[in-house]
Amino acid sequence: MTLFHFFNCAILTFGPHAVYYSATPLSEYDTLGTSVKAAVVYLATALVKLVCLATFLQVSETEVFDPYQEALKAMIGFIDVAGLYYALAQLTHRNISQNHKFQAVGLGWAFADSVLHRLAPLWVGARGLEFTWDYVLQGLEANANLVFTISLAALGSLMWLRKNKPKSLIPIIYTCAIIIATMPSITSYLKRVMGWHFPKIVGFEIATSLVMAFISCQLFIFCQRPSL
Amino acid sequence: MVDEKKSKQRHRVMVFESMYPVLALMLILVACVELCDAATVVDVYRLIQYDISGVPFGSRFSSLNHHAASLSFQRGADLSRSVLILPLRELDIGFVQDYISQKQSLGGLLILLPQTFRPGNVGGGGLNSENDGFRKLLAQLEKILVHGNIPFPVYFAFENEETDAMLADVKKNDALGQQATATTGGYKLVISVSEPKKIASPIITNIQGWLPGLRAEGDSNQLPTVAVVASYDTFGAAPALSVGSDSNGSGVVALLEVARLFSVLYSNPKTRGRYNLLFALTSGGPYNYEGTQKWLKSLDQRMRESIDYAICLNSVGSWDSELLIHVSKPPDNAYIKQIFEGFSNVAEDLGFQVALKHKKINISNSRVAWEHEQFSRLRVTAATISELSTPPELLENAGSLSDTRQLVSEYAIIKGVKLVAESLAKHIYGHQGKDIKIFADDSSLAVNPFYVRSWLDLLSQTPRVAPFLSKNEPLIMALKKELEDYTAEVSVQHESLDGSFTFYDSTKASLNIYQVASVTFDLLLLLVLGSYLIVLFSFLVITTRGLDDLISLFRRPPSRKVKMG
Repeated sequence: MTLFHFFNCAILTFGPHAVYYSATPLSEYDTLGTSVKAAVVYLATALVKLVCLATFLQVSETEVFDPYQEALKAMIGFIDVAGLYYALAQLTHRNISQNHKFQAVGLGWAFADSVLHRLAPLWVGARGLEFTWDYVLQGLEANANLVFTISLAALGSLMWLRKNKPKSLIPIIYTCAIIIATMPSITSYLKRVMGWHFPKIVGFEIATSLVMAFISCQLFIFCQRPSL
Repeated sequence: MVDEKKSKQRHRVMVFESMYPVLALMLILVACVELCDAATVVDVYRLIQYDISGVPFGSRFSSLNHHAASLSFQRGADLSRSVLILPLRELDIGFVQDYISQKQSLGGLLILLPQTFRPGNVGGGGLNSENDGFRKLLAQLEKILVHGNIPFPVYFAFENEETDAMLADVKKNDALGQQATATTGGYKLVISVSEPKKIASPIITNIQGWLPGLRAEGDSNQLPTVAVVASYDTFGAAPALSVGSDSNGSGVVALLEVARLFSVLYSNPKTRGRYNLLFALTSGGPYNYEGTQKWLKSLDQRMRESIDYAICLNSVGSWDSELLIHVSKPPDNAYIKQIFEGFSNVAEDLGFQVALKHKKINISNSRVAWEHEQFSRLRVTAATISELSTPPELLENAGSLSDTRQLVSEYAIIKGVKLVAESLAKHIYGHQGKDIKIFADDSSLAVNPFYVRSWLDLLSQTPRVAPFLSKNEPLIMALKKELEDYTAEVSVQHESLDGSFTFYDSTKASLNIYQVASVTFDLLLLLVLGSYLIVLFSFLVITTRGLDDLISLFRRPPSRKVKMG
């Protein structure tokens, strides 16, 4: 049953976003507009990134890890962070609390990322007769990416929207944010240099995302205390 | 508060309604399931499908879309929706015979042949005993398949790593008793071709080359002629693999080499003999030599009457010490005696033997076993030189799957060429009884082994089943050009293969092998994902809104009642 498999992988890839929206108070405060705006900002960011990649990057035939190229890719990856900053700080949102703003922005961002990167391969690949585990792994990766994006959005809102932060925590916040922002480079390093296969990389991503979510959650709660 | 919720609900309903056309479009798109590229694609060759006078033979179907099964299936299992994969190494002829004769239903049959039988595979294997056993088995299998009426598709393929891996997997699953069906996963074999169609009017092409002899000044009589004939087309179980290296690639190569040698002799008027030479490459050999008959009938009667005798070459590539001359006129006929004496003298010089075999023609029987019989029916003296001692049955020994390049020895062909050339030269130049060798080795008229080898290699890679050859087939053009180089006049005759034989197309296809997961697997995955999403939902509700909210989700109706009350 090939359509069945496509349906399974689709709900694995896109289900958690819908579940997150409906389970948390986001649905009660109707923050759909914020998420949509964040998705649009993601699209624009992706376009800018593509143009930069096409201009500055040289395509290599072999899967060789070139440090210079990877550093360039990481720098272009920071355009992502800039886009997130724009979505969080510059766009005017309805009067929603800090807490919900970063969640809505992160959710919209992650959903746009999943749709852009994973819908087309899923549509073309999962409907065929041949069975592979690739699309299930891709769905798990989408889940990890959702957690990453929400953590990054939380740290971002801490960095740019909260003025009174305990001085000791600032470096930790920035370190975590940099780690999350450079995740793509880290995974490509693992894939090419260490030769890890896709399942291992997805496992690593999920573990890291849970750790990062926990850390950023703690940081957020800690930073919230003084304002209380 | 209630109004707000109601308006929100109405808003939601409107959003859903506006999505209906989008949903419909999605459903239509979703319905077109395309088959992606399979992980494995293998070239396969179909069993021949033909009718003799309306009686069907061969495999009657071509498209395939079933699960794979191997010989280790449980007894009594239903194979009507499975493709049975049979490697030649483990073939049990009795099993195949039973299956076909009892007309048991089968989804399809895929026979895996060792790589040594691949046309163009010159190296390795050769004539060891293992391959000999395979050849015998293959010959038996072909006989059953070609002469049976098989109601399912039969395909031949060559073993490679991917098919080996798939077969090992299928055997393992079958041994565990899990037969591959839609609910248990496994491998699916798909060949998507259209239904085979009749070939409307198959054409057979005869190529004839004429080398005129030296006519004395003022002599207006017709010079006598000697003809050398060989049929070049083949017939086998898999028409796309029917290269017929020995039957009759060896005969064609021998004819071309003889033509080349005599063209060298005849190019100089001083050495031109007083005989015309007629070389003919005929088609329609497996079908009672229909091409030869039509060619002879098309010849001018005077030319036909001027033929002293004709030598037909059939399978001269894998003999060792004895070559046979088959005749239909009785051996004590003067002409036959003369021809045989000439040949046996030359053979003695060359170090081997020839033997004469006589087979009477039965006029009432339409079966023509040897090519010379077509000549004899028109009162032309002819003989067939062959390594075969018994006349081949209809549609046998005409280029089977086991007739590959490795079976043929160039040395045997070269000996045959020497025999024919020297005997013809003795007859033409009147050197009977004298000890003269015209085509001696190390002379300018030596038989060229490289020529023999290169043409033999070419023919061993070209399937030549006549109904599937077009008028301007590259091979026919090549043979015509070759004869044009060596003879003065070449004419090509196209005839249609009439009578009882009808052929169907679709001889080659691509097999897609898909590894499919079962429905139970998909259901299980759905269950796992459903529970994952539910757990995620509960977790998120608990952490962000508290446990009370989660419980209140399930207790909403009663609380409303309380409120109303």
